[in-house]
Amino acid sequence: MEAPNITRLIYRNIKVNTDPGSLTILIGLPAMYLVFFGFGFASLASTAGGGSTYLSFLTPGLMGFQAVMAGSVGGGMLWADRRWGMLAQLLVGPFTRLQYLMGIMLTSVAFGLVGALVMLGIAYLLLGALPVSFVGVLVMLAVITVGSIFFGSLMLLIAALVKSNTTYNSIQILVLFLVNFASTVFYPFSSGLPTALKVLFAVNPLTYIADAVRAGYFGTYTATVGYEVVVLCAETVVVLFLATRAYMRSDVSLD
Amino acid sequence: MADPIVLAEDLRHSYGGKRFALNGVSFSVQKGEVFGLLGKNGAGKSTLIKAMTTLIRPTSGTLRIFGMDPGKDGKRIRSRIGVVQQGESFDFTSVEGNFDVYGVLWGVPREERHRRREALIQRFGLEEIRRRRSFDISGGQKRRVQVAREFIHDMEILFLDEPTVGMDVIMRRTLLDSIREEVKRGLTVVFTTHNLEEADYVCDRIAVIDEGKLLVLDEVENLKRLYGGKKTIDLTVQPGGAATFFPALEEGLGPGTSITSEGDSVVILTDDPKDSLAKILELSQKMGVQLEWVSVRKNTLEDVFLRSVSHGGEPNGGA
Repeated sequence: MEAPNITRLIYRNIKVNTDPGSLTILIGLPAMYLVFFGFGFASLASTAGGGSTYLSFLTPGLMGFQAVMAGSVGGGMLWADRRWGMLAQLLVGPFTRLQYLMGIMLTSVAFGLVGALVMLGIAYLLLGALPVSFVGVLVMLAVITVGSIFFGSLMLLIAALVKSNTTYNSIQILVLFLVNFASTVFYPFSSGLPTALKVLFAVNPLTYIADAVRAGYFGTYTATVGYEVVVLCAETVVVLFLATRAYMRSDVSLD
Repeated sequence: MADPIVLAEDLRHSYGGKRFALNGVSFSVQKGEVFGLLGKNGAGKSTLIKAMTTLIRPTSGTLRIFGMDPGKDGKRIRSRIGVVQQGESFDFTSVEGNFDVYGVLWGVPREERHRRREALIQRFGLEEIRRRRSFDISGGQKRRVQVAREFIHDMEILFLDEPTVGMDVIMRRTLLDSIREEVKRGLTVVFTTHNLEEADYVCDRIAVIDEGKLLVLDEVENLKRLYGGKKTIDLTVQPGGAATFFPALEEGLGPGTSITSEGDSVVILTDDPKDSLAKILELSQKMGVQLEWVSVRKNTLEDVFLRSVSHGGEPNGGA
């Protein structure tokens, strides 16, 4: 039986993007954060009264961070396909533009979920035991799915609008830095932060993702987290709409 | 006659409303023919290919592929066509990996995919580079892979946009022979090229397009007959002789001939080469102009192309 178009596109996206370099960045970078930051900052956290629990704090944060990594892979796929002519080639094949977009989005989600599970596995090896329940895992995966769609859409939006390789890479690095470090992935929100940073924390979707994944990990569901998830879903719908519109109007190649 | 596979009527397309890349193009392509599109750079060939392969929607006019409207039935049309675009298109994987992935995308079953991949690798001489990354191979090899890869799936019509660019002579001939083989099995081909020899070798009918307009359209032999009389005389005169000699020649040769000059050379198309040669020699002696080169030959497709473009599609420039 013939596989549906989107399944074939996802297969292709995974097949051509799972080279050692891409996998190292996708899984290796967050894993290194987990090991280096987890143990490195443990002494600081210990001085502040946190101790070895910092690794536990960091684990769900970095699982949420996989949504950002997955998003950057999705944007990179569109960028590369435009740059190397495959987008135009696929669109003269038996696919629609929308199917291509869905293919990239679902591949991003798959990368985000697999990356998060790998992170959970590494944390288990480092910690020996995890506090997360089965329901908690489902909550975490659901949040990472939405997060992957958000960041996938954001990166697609950038990839659809930008025509220069240097500009695309520069914007991607800036976005990754800002969302990563102005979020609750590595440290909790503090009222002592400067106002500008507080605003960045508050509007950063990765903060909502990290908080919600952490809630699933520890089983501590609060009204604030519920509110954050609603805002995340709303933001995702908006960015997905903008990305789809920009992509549908974009040139199929950079010639 | 059966319904054409491609039907274009008064097709127009402008980019941003500024310039018409296609300006009232009409033609049809029948099943099993090789239809050549000839034209200079920017003539509108690639725009026409993009319209026929549903990548762009023409601004106005009628276009039907398999009797369907590309604007409404794009997906159904695309599932029956093959396209080799002018630019490169590769996935970040090995040469054979590109064949496999492309076969999967087209839904070719695994065993059939592998069988076709091996046959294509052999036919297009890709054995040595099959495990190399597609971005690490030369321009000509890339083109070869791109063309070969398209044959991994079934299709009823194949659009080839300058497929032989960068290929060596042997590979070019292999590709052209492959096209002929596929045409024998019922494939229809639309083929754009700058290379007039290969168009002559492979095409059944040829359309010359310039500035978005179709200048001529006919079978190759008819075009050769129609454009430029029966023979072509190539003539080069000594430096400085052209300014006075060529105008006098145009006047002296009379009806049944036409002249296209460039620098010290001139191409004369004539119904009666013996008479024309006699007049040329007589005039050159009379004017004291030394002839450096004179040759008489059959018309080639290049003559057709040059004449149709330079005279806006009028046979013999209206002579």
